[in-house]
Amino acid sequence: MTEHRLVSPDDEDYPEGLLDLENPPPLFMLGETTTAPAVAVVGTRRSTRYGMNLAGAFGRALARAGWTTVSGLARGIDAAAHRGTLEADGQAVAVLGSGIDVVYPAEHGEIYHRILDGHGAVMSEYPPGTPPDRWRFPARNRLIAAIASAVVVVEAGEKGGALITARLAAELGRPVFAVPGDVDRAASKGCNLLIRDGAHPALGVEDLIAELELVLGKPPRRPPPTRITIPPTGVTIDDLPGLWGCTPAQALARLARMEIAGEVRRSGDLVAPI
Amino acid sequence: MYAATTSVALVGGEARPVEVQAHVGRQTEAFKLSGLPDTAVREAKDRVRAAVTSSGIRFPNRTVTVNLAPADLPKGGTDYDLPIALGILAASREIPDLRRAVVVGELALDGAVRAGSNALGAGVLSARHQVPCLVASSAAAEAASIPGATAYGVSSLADAVDLLRDGLEGTEPARPRETVAAEPSPDLADIKGQTMARRALEVAAAGGHHLLLHGPPGAGKTMLARRMIGILPRLEVTEAIETAMLWAAAGRRRGLDTTPPFRSPHHTASKAALVGGGSGNPVPGEASLAHRGVLFLDELAEFPRGHLDTLRQPLEEGVVSVARRGTSVDFPASFQLLAATNPCPCGYHGDGRRPCECRPAIRWRYRSRISGPLLDRFDLIVRVGRVEAGEYSGQAGEASSEVATRVERARVAQLGRGQVNRYLAPGEALLESLAARGLVTAAVGNVLLTARGADRVRRVARTIADLAGVDQVEEEHMAEAIGLRGEWRDD
Repeated sequence: MTEHRLVSPDDEDYPEGLLDLENPPPLFMLGETTTAPAVAVVGTRRSTRYGMNLAGAFGRALARAGWTTVSGLARGIDAAAHRGTLEADGQAVAVLGSGIDVVYPAEHGEIYHRILDGHGAVMSEYPPGTPPDRWRFPARNRLIAAIASAVVVVEAGEKGGALITARLAAELGRPVFAVPGDVDRAASKGCNLLIRDGAHPALGVEDLIAELELVLGKPPRRPPPTRITIPPTGVTIDDLPGLWGCTPAQALARLARMEIAGEVRRSGDLVAPI
Repeated sequence: MYAATTSVALVGGEARPVEVQAHVGRQTEAFKLSGLPDTAVREAKDRVRAAVTSSGIRFPNRTVTVNLAPADLPKGGTDYDLPIALGILAASREIPDLRRAVVVGELALDGAVRAGSNALGAGVLSARHQVPCLVASSAAAEAASIPGATAYGVSSLADAVDLLRDGLEGTEPARPRETVAAEPSPDLADIKGQTMARRALEVAAAGGHHLLLHGPPGAGKTMLARRMIGILPRLEVTEAIETAMLWAAAGRRRGLDTTPPFRSPHHTASKAALVGGGSGNPVPGEASLAHRGVLFLDELAEFPRGHLDTLRQPLEEGVVSVARRGTSVDFPASFQLLAATNPCPCGYHGDGRRPCECRPAIRWRYRSRISGPLLDRFDLIVRVGRVEAGEYSGQAGEASSEVATRVERARVAQLGRGQVNRYLAPGEALLESLAARGLVTAAVGNVLLTARGADRVRRVARTIADLAGVDQVEEEHMAEAIGLRGEWRDD
């Protein structure tokens, strides 16, 4: 596991959107941030299956269109959005309401680790080890609202974190999208209220992407990953993690892909390009 | 006058009751012993007589006949001394009858009771038949730690006689000792560099995969192998008992140690030492002493090929059958095989920094000492490269305890599915994503893997996914598994 780092508003990789806050806090960060504009996909923890499916579809579509997605690693909509992003091999940012090394809820460890495995970043304003206290979550929501260039609320109750995120985003001038739903369904009441108050209705995956591109413009294409190379004289297998800046497990996986692609050859301890 | 008591015989690491029958007749003084005793048991006659006399008890000057039944159970060792002595004393009415007790212990000539190797077996019978057992005081805690056993410790024959005359009811049985404090095994943190080999060790531990490490001398193959125990899950108490019973059958005391056993026989070991057998009563070999643990064969290519091939039965079936005229004894031998070898006689083939001095034919002959069927057993064949002196300065590696936590979690996931991944049949219960399956198919298509190699890689990928804590084997897990294999035959 890579070491976490503390970034302050003066640092280069400090998320730009946070500078719109009155008091941008220093952040603990793990993983790599991208410069691609981010879209937050948030919603209630008590989501319906319909909402989860939709959040997953949004996550996938946003990732394919080149957006980074932001969410809070919570149960329900947040997790579905993260998973969708990862499925499409996109970049995700998880903003935690606990210390950066405290995975809450614990069953989301898989999402957490996959994000850190080259799929984005995890950040928090709390020092490592901070427990996930309920009262910290509204403060976390303001970070999500600020990091994102737009906020999509998939399902939300009449009260709750997702509405707070949406309101804060609106105050910061970020466009807010909400998925309309049945007027008598608890998980849709918040979204319908947002639409009444002026949020863009998100009428499906394609509609959302089209609206986003209309409001914010197309995200810049992600630069193709820098080509992984091996010096012609060859290196030992144990050199690879250092050379590529990754874990031994990742280095082995990359090496295997290159072998299958016929780019490198192994002989004894040495790996050399063909 | 007749009396009987019960003792223990170990057959294939399993405790069986032996009835010790004693008869004191009217004829002139004599002492007869029957019931297939071995030399040590036959010598019990002299020890028993001396111990009884030294304890100030009269040894009957009549015809004493002792029979150990059933006669077809092989009986060896010195653990029958105490039951024979007490049987005789009961038959001559010196003490009350003790038919409903299991007795085990060796007698010194002065009457002191020493722990033989069967105290655990006495505990097992005590628990199984709900009767008390009488063992040397130094082994009482061990016998008492078998769940359900009632054990009494005695330090001398006189002590035992007093205890039986007073009756067991008034005496407190020995307290169990939960587990033996394990001696600390060497820690992975001692190993600098070798990141890939460490990963291979972790994956092997997690899936219980047989692992072959090959590489130049001084690469640290043996150091790595010796650190396997520190990252393996602890044994269950039932498993610790199984292993300890096999040790007892080999005449060794292990106690209820929940550390998995680690055995590393030298390459000059005989076949019998390796898999069991020997003259007289069959004795378990290293394969069984490593039951539920690790059998480490260092310098694998130096072992005679015939010896290695005898390991194929335990590797396939988890037992060793030792045949004897008219009978055969099965010793459990379910172990994880760990082996290390040089790539060639000089050791430097494939080193990249130092040339190999071996002619190809010599190298080929060296490698062919390890038979194909045995090689096929290793799910992981991993190259361990040499670390240059300068690279030692790198930061210390991760400690064994951290790796052990991940291994434990991966094991729990596997046992939830029913078995450790080592036992997965080709294609069984793998749950692979399409991308993962595509990758391994591509590797076979590129002749990077053989069909058998692909089966092994898929089992290993399953373990890597378990280590990552996910249900489905993803492409990245499969890729890592393909990356982990280090060719042995083709480089």
